Amino acid sequence: MSLLQVRHVTKRFGGLTAVDDVSFDVFPGTIKALIGPNGAGKSTLFNTLTGFEKPDGGSVLFEGRELVGRRARDVVRAGLARTFQNTQLFDELSAGENVMVGRQAHQGKGFTAAMLRLPGATAEDREAREEAGRLLRLIGIEEWVDVPAADLPAGIRRLVEIARALATGPRLLLLDEPAAGLNATEGRELVHTLYRVRDAGVTVVIVEHDMGLVMDVSDEIVVLDRGRKIAEGPPRMIQLDPVVIAAYLGGGEDEDDGPAGRPGRCVSTAPADAPGDA
Amino acid sequence: MTSSRTWRYAAPFVIAVIVAILPLVVTDRFLLKVFTFAGVNALVVVGLSLLFGYAGQVSLGHAAFVGIGAYAAAYCTVQLHWPWILGFVAAGAVSALGGLVLAVPSLRLKGYYLAVATLGFGELMALSFKEAEPVTGGVDGFTGIPYPALGPFELRTASSLYWLVWGIVGVALLIAWNTSSLRPGRAMRALHGSELGAQASGVDVVGVKVRTFVMSAVIAGLAGALYAGVVGFVSPSVFTLSASVTFMAMAVIGGTGSLAGPLLAAVLLTLLQYFDALIPGIPRSTSQALQEYREDIYALAIILVVIFAPRGLGGLWRRRDRGGGEEVRQ
Repeated sequence: MSLLQVRHVTKRFGGLTAVDDVSFDVFPGTIKALIGPNGAGKSTLFNTLTGFEKPDGGSVLFEGRELVGRRARDVVRAGLARTFQNTQLFDELSAGENVMVGRQAHQGKGFTAAMLRLPGATAEDREAREEAGRLLRLIGIEEWVDVPAADLPAGIRRLVEIARALATGPRLLLLDEPAAGLNATEGRELVHTLYRVRDAGVTVVIVEHDMGLVMDVSDEIVVLDRGRKIAEGPPRMIQLDPVVIAAYLGGGEDEDDGPAGRPGRCVSTAPADAPGDA
Repeated sequence: MTSSRTWRYAAPFVIAVIVAILPLVVTDRFLLKVFTFAGVNALVVVGLSLLFGYAGQVSLGHAAFVGIGAYAAAYCTVQLHWPWILGFVAAGAVSALGGLVLAVPSLRLKGYYLAVATLGFGELMALSFKEAEPVTGGVDGFTGIPYPALGPFELRTASSLYWLVWGIVGVALLIAWNTSSLRPGRAMRALHGSELGAQASGVDVVGVKVRTFVMSAVIAGLAGALYAGVVGFVSPSVFTLSASVTFMAMAVIGGTGSLAGPLLAAVLLTLLQYFDALIPGIPRSTSQALQEYREDIYALAIILVVIFAPRGLGGLWRRRDRGGGEEVRQ
C-alpha cells in the first residue's frame, strides 16, 4: 500500500506545461528522490503536492485521501510537511521557537485562552517547547536552540527547517533541495539526519541536485525532464538508464566515481532553478 | 548578569508603581491631563504594535478605529443615554467590525499595497465622520459627552481619569503580553518572518491576520471611547491621517517584537507635544518651535531609528540582553 499516490498531475503556467501528466508512488519507510535538470518542474510538482499550487489536472492521494484542492495548512495537518529551496525560517524567532511554530498545525487553544493565559494555553506552550527540544536533539542541533534564526549558519538553517517540518507530526516529509548551500561535511551530516528521520517513521521525498547524495540515500528515484517523468527506479538502474543519461547526465563519464567520492557532482554546480518556489 | 535579570523581572512592577502613584505627586491638573493623553495614545500603540511589531502588518488607518470608538461611545452616551460602561463596550464592538473590514484586504495585500489600502480606509472613515451628520454631528462633532462612570461613581477629577486610562492600559498590556508570548504571538511573528514558512508550518494564516487586526482595532476603539470621555467632545479633525501616522511613528520608534518599546515611544512622543507644560521655565519661542516642527521631529526620529536602531527602542533594550547571553556562552 503506497503512502502517496500521484496520478496524472499536470500544472500549466500560461503556455508552459511545467508538470506534464506525472504519476508515481511513494511507499512508507522509504526515501524517494525527485531529480531532473533545472526547469524540469520539480519544485512546481512539490508545490502542487503541498497545496501551494493547484494542479490543472490529476489527483494526489495521501493515505487514501485526496489532497488536491486543499490549502497548504490542511495538507500539513493531513500529515504531509515540506521545506523550501530557499529556507523560509522566521528570522526574528530563535531556532527553538521556529520549531515550536510547527506544532501549531495541531494546536488551537485559541486567542482568548492565550490572552487570559489560561492553563490550556500555557500547557500547549510547554508541550510545544518540549517537542521542539526533542526534535532539535533528534536532528542533533540542540545547542542552537536559543540562537535567533537570522544568526544561524546556512547548514543549521536547513536542519532547523527540517525540525520545524517534523514538529507538524508528518508521515511524509518533502525536502526541496536540502543540500543546497551545504559544504561536504554538512552534506554527510544531512545524509545521517535523513536516515534518522526515516528511522523515526517518517517517509521522505527529496528534490536534490547533488547526485552523490541522491544516489547515497534514496531507495527510489523519479527523473523529470521538461515536466515529464522519463524514468523511475532504484539508483543503480537510473544511473544506467540511457534515456536519463541522454536527457540529464549528458554522457556516460559522469557516472564514474571521482576522487572526491562524489559521483556526478557536475550537476550540482548548475544554478538553482528559479520558478515555482515562490 | 543576575542583577540585570532581577531588574528585568522587577522593572514592570517598579514602572507600574511609578505610573500608579504619579497623580499623588503631580498635582497640576493640566499636567495630569497630558499624562492621561499619553495613556490614551499608549493604548492605541499597544494594539498597533501587536499588528505591526508582531504580525508585521502595516496600518496607516488606525486613527479611524480611534474615531469609530470615540463616536460610538459618544453616540451611545449622548444620544441613547446609555451608561458609560455600555458605551465603552459598544465602542469596542463597533471597532471590532471595522477591524474585520480592514482585515479582508490584508489577506491579499502586503507591504506598501496594504499600507495604501489602510490609508484609504482611514481617509474614508475621516470623511464619513464629517459627512454622516445624523450619527456623528458632522464637522461640529459631539459635545457634552458625560464623564466616564463606573456604576454610580462618576470619574470627573483629573486623577481618577488618569487612573482609569492607565488602569485600562495596564489590562491591555497584560492581555497583549499574554497573547504575544504564547502561541498566537509566535504565529504573528512567524507571519512577519515568512508567510510561506508559516503556511508550511500549519499556521492558520488567515485566522491570525483577522484576529490580530480585530484585536488591534478593538484596543484602538476603546482608546477612542476613553478619549471621548476624558475630553468631553469629539470632532472629525482629530481622527486624521496625521494621527494615524503619529501612531505608526510611535510603533516604529518603539520597535518590532516589543511592547515596552512602543509604550515608551508613545509616552515620549506625546509628552513632546506638551513640552512647555513639563518644563515650566522653557521660553515660549522654543516650545512654539517644538510644536510647529512636531511632525518633522517625528520624521527625523523615525529616520534615525531606522538607520541606527532598526529594532527600535525595544531592540536596544534586548540587544544589551542578548550580548550578555553570548558572553556566557563563550
